[in-house]
Amino acid sequence: MRLRVFVAVALTAALGVVAATASASVDRHQANKITVWLQVDAQSGWPDVVAAANTQFQADHPGYSVDVQYQNWGDHLQKFDATLAAGNTPDVIEMGNTEMTKYMAAGAFADLTSLKGTFANSSNWLAGLAKSGMYGGKVYGVPYYAGSRVVTYRTDLFKKAGITKAPTSLSQFLSDAKLLAAKNKQKGFSPVYIAGTDWYFAMSFVYDFGGQIAATSHGKWVGTLDSPQAIAGLTAYKSFWKAVSKASPTTDENTPPPYNVYSQGLASAIVGPSWFSCCTGKTFTSITGQFVMPSHVAGKSIPGFLGGSDLAVPASSGNKALGADWIKDFTSTANEKLLQAKGNIPNATSLLGNSVNERAAARSWFVPAAKHWVDVENGNILRNMLAQILTGKQSVKQAAENASSNIALVLNQP
Amino acid sequence: MNAVAVPVRRRPRRRRRGGRAGWNIVAIVLFAVMVFPVFWMISSAFKPTDQINSFTPTWFSRHPTVSHFTTAVHTPYFWTDVKNTLIIVSVTVTVSIALAFLAAVALAKYRFTGRKLFIVLVIGIQMLPGAGLIIPLYVTLASYHLVNTLTGVIVTYMTIVLPFSVWTLRGFILGIPKELEEAAMVDGSTRLGAFVRILLPLVAPGLVATSVFAFIQAWNEYLYARIILASQGKQTITVWLSYFLGTSRSTDWGALMAGSTLTAIPAVVFFLIVQRRIAFGLTAGAVRG
Amino acid sequence: MAERVVIAAETTWSRRRRRLTWGRVARGSVPYWLILPVLGAIGAILGYPLYRLFRLAFQHYGLEELIRHSGQPVGLHNFGHVLHDQIFWHTLVRTVIFTVANVGLTMGIGTLIALLLVRVSTVVRVLLTAGLVLVWSMPVVVAVQVWGWMTNYQNGVVNYILTELHFGDYFQHNWYGSTFSQLAIVTTLIVWGALPFVAITVFAALAQVPADLVEAAQIDGAPPWRVFLDVTVPIIRPVLLILTSLSIVWDFGVFVQPYLLIGQTHITPGNYLMGIYLFEKGYFDNDYGQGAAISILMLLIVATLSIFYVRKMVRIGDVD
Repeated sequence: MRLRVFVAVALTAALGVVAATASASVDRHQANKITVWLQVDAQSGWPDVVAAANTQFQADHPGYSVDVQYQNWGDHLQKFDATLAAGNTPDVIEMGNTEMTKYMAAGAFADLTSLKGTFANSSNWLAGLAKSGMYGGKVYGVPYYAGSRVVTYRTDLFKKAGITKAPTSLSQFLSDAKLLAAKNKQKGFSPVYIAGTDWYFAMSFVYDFGGQIAATSHGKWVGTLDSPQAIAGLTAYKSFWKAVSKASPTTDENTPPPYNVYSQGLASAIVGPSWFSCCTGKTFTSITGQFVMPSHVAGKSIPGFLGGSDLAVPASSGNKALGADWIKDFTSTANEKLLQAKGNIPNATSLLGNSVNERAAARSWFVPAAKHWVDVENGNILRNMLAQILTGKQSVKQAAENASSNIALVLNQP
Repeated sequence: MNAVAVPVRRRPRRRRRGGRAGWNIVAIVLFAVMVFPVFWMISSAFKPTDQINSFTPTWFSRHPTVSHFTTAVHTPYFWTDVKNTLIIVSVTVTVSIALAFLAAVALAKYRFTGRKLFIVLVIGIQMLPGAGLIIPLYVTLASYHLVNTLTGVIVTYMTIVLPFSVWTLRGFILGIPKELEEAAMVDGSTRLGAFVRILLPLVAPGLVATSVFAFIQAWNEYLYARIILASQGKQTITVWLSYFLGTSRSTDWGALMAGSTLTAIPAVVFFLIVQRRIAFGLTAGAVRG
Repeated sequence: MAERVVIAAETTWSRRRRRLTWGRVARGSVPYWLILPVLGAIGAILGYPLYRLFRLAFQHYGLEELIRHSGQPVGLHNFGHVLHDQIFWHTLVRTVIFTVANVGLTMGIGTLIALLLVRVSTVVRVLLTAGLVLVWSMPVVVAVQVWGWMTNYQNGVVNYILTELHFGDYFQHNWYGSTFSQLAIVTTLIVWGALPFVAITVFAALAQVPADLVEAAQIDGAPPWRVFLDVTVPIIRPVLLILTSLSIVWDFGVFVQPYLLIGQTHITPGNYLMGIYLFEKGYFDNDYGQGAAISILMLLIVATLSIFYVRKMVRIGDVD
């Protein structure tokens, strides 16, 4: 027994030494490398784009290697904070466009304004994305790709209900939904499944009616959801939602994912990113189509939330010029076209095609460019407001006023 | 030292056999309820994707598939991460138990100034919220150049496992009857010799029991591993699992459940191997507190 | 060797244990050498972070300061800010209630399961123990996913089963609709995950209780609960103390289960638990100074909550 214990201890000590030296030696050999943080979406969605960028980079900088480390959306910011504290940040990092402002304001990124001309199509960058990468007039983030929101629908159910073409106005969509409801009476069926607290969709109504979430006035942020236009938008959202969706008024757009509801046959339409078409279930793939969500003004599309990512170079990186160069290779025209082929919106208007996704991006809105915007999101202020409105616990006006003052409080923090 | 011949009784016999049937039924129902989520995980791993997402649950799929397991195993870095986790956990557990044992001996057997302080330290560290220490710990590891290394994770895990282990092993050592120690003294052997010959085997079950607790804690740990290990080639299996959930697109539930099932296996195997020892270990030691 | 273990168990049944303290035989530096490796390991890794944590609590340290690597000293401002925060006090009360519920359920049900394990036949005992181990070995993150799935209001199997068993109409019942319901589900998850550890440990401790004593008490006509309280509990008390104090520490600061199960989008100050409060204030808001202050306050609170049990355990070891 003792001998066995001794052998076990010795073995594991040896393992420990091996582990230590293995990791140490690997790090020492790769002195000439840059570290890039991309989200997992790139690893599963477009690994060829990453490979192309790496090849180009290594051709331009012989002797250098690229270490791409894939991150999760859930904890990549905590990891980034830890590296900021320790001073070992990556050389390139992908940030969600709503995450940028806080870090730009804190001085986390290198100023890329002088290098803007070197990035492909930079004079035509999508306004929504480009804005998210700018602070104080300087460029800190390079637009990577975007996604808009579209309506994914069952062509067969629409045909059966007598709907011959995609609705071109909100009121028409509403009457179409009534036709769909009449023809599909099963329990839990939604003509259009929308999660109650899907603020990305709900705020589109606010912007469609001319309102906005917040604005600056004399250097301070003011919540503007209680303006007459915003309230009109929220009221329109409430009546639309109540008529078309049987989702829980307090649930978010991830639990359950709308495409799950769709694939069970419990929705004839869902609203969300265009890649929803991937997961509609074997039965419905061939009878699924997409159209642009209409505005309340006939003939126009509703302003859609332009989600997307930017690429930035942390200021404490030791390889800033190389990082910027990698970004240049990654966002080249050829690569952006590859991203477009995978269903994303490329980063420049000159590259835009005619897919439903891209047409939906014609009118878009974006979150206020405030340092503490992320805190508004994290505090679920908009979600709570929507839950109160849809459950009827508060009137639209009350809920909007509460949310506005909360937003102002959060955004005006030092 | 010869064993005294004493009739071996494993456990006190309970009286009536008849009343057992009722308890057996209760136990089986309890088993079904407790194990249900685990069953759900394993059965889902074998279901085709549309059945996983279905609104009417399927208990046992009529067309079980191993495609999710194939996907999981072929997901990049699966075997690498398994290897990393095994290295980290085995080194952590072995070194921690060894060091904790030494400290536990000191606490149980010696009177020395600072003993109370040491106990307070051991207990106090366990009371700190782990989340609060993440960034200062990361900064410290960075200064030692231990970020993104297995060693960095090992030493971090040791600080998590050590306090608990010292505390538990102290209890086991306190439980050893002094008659056996005194018997060793008579031999004229040195204290250390007596200790090694008599006490180590006696406390071995306790060591095993504590090792299992430590193993499971280290195996399942996610937060620190996620923060410290950056390259996918160095990560642990819990981090590998998290990638299935971290994307902004749809989650491959089947692969996640298959991956989770695979991840749970080593812990179960380890426990089943040592579980007989545990019953003895806890019996002999912990009760004596 | 197995026989030696059994002998140890045997002899300790009938005799009062007396500990042989080597300290009386020889003092000296031996104990210090023995605790040095543990102190060294903990000190080398946690020494600086602990020092930093205490310093951070007295500084204003946000994202900018993090990047610049320097903060501004603000004395007790962070503590004052936290202690004046209504949310802190509401969260504290909620977490204490939550902890009491969790620890109570875990220890209560765990002990009952242990008592059950003693009374069943061997095959069933092995089956139940193996089941408990399966539960224990499931990684927490995975367990949360499975539970979330099972309690999903759209297609959760729990709703389905309850409806099928005619407990009522649970079709698309939202288990996360109210704070109480959310925390109840979280409690169920945590207790479920903690039961194996408690049940197996208490079971092993119960095996040490001499059958003769129990039978003698029963023959005397004492009801089962009296037998349990007067005969069994005093013997297994040390184990119960260890488990209770550990449970208090773990359940008070729990973070992963409630955060992932309720989901980030449904976390509001109305359903914060202390672990989540710390994470939101310290990390999401990037206010590390405040996060450090909250950590220290949590340490003090947990110490206060568990002091009763810890002191008892320390004293037990001092009997001579």
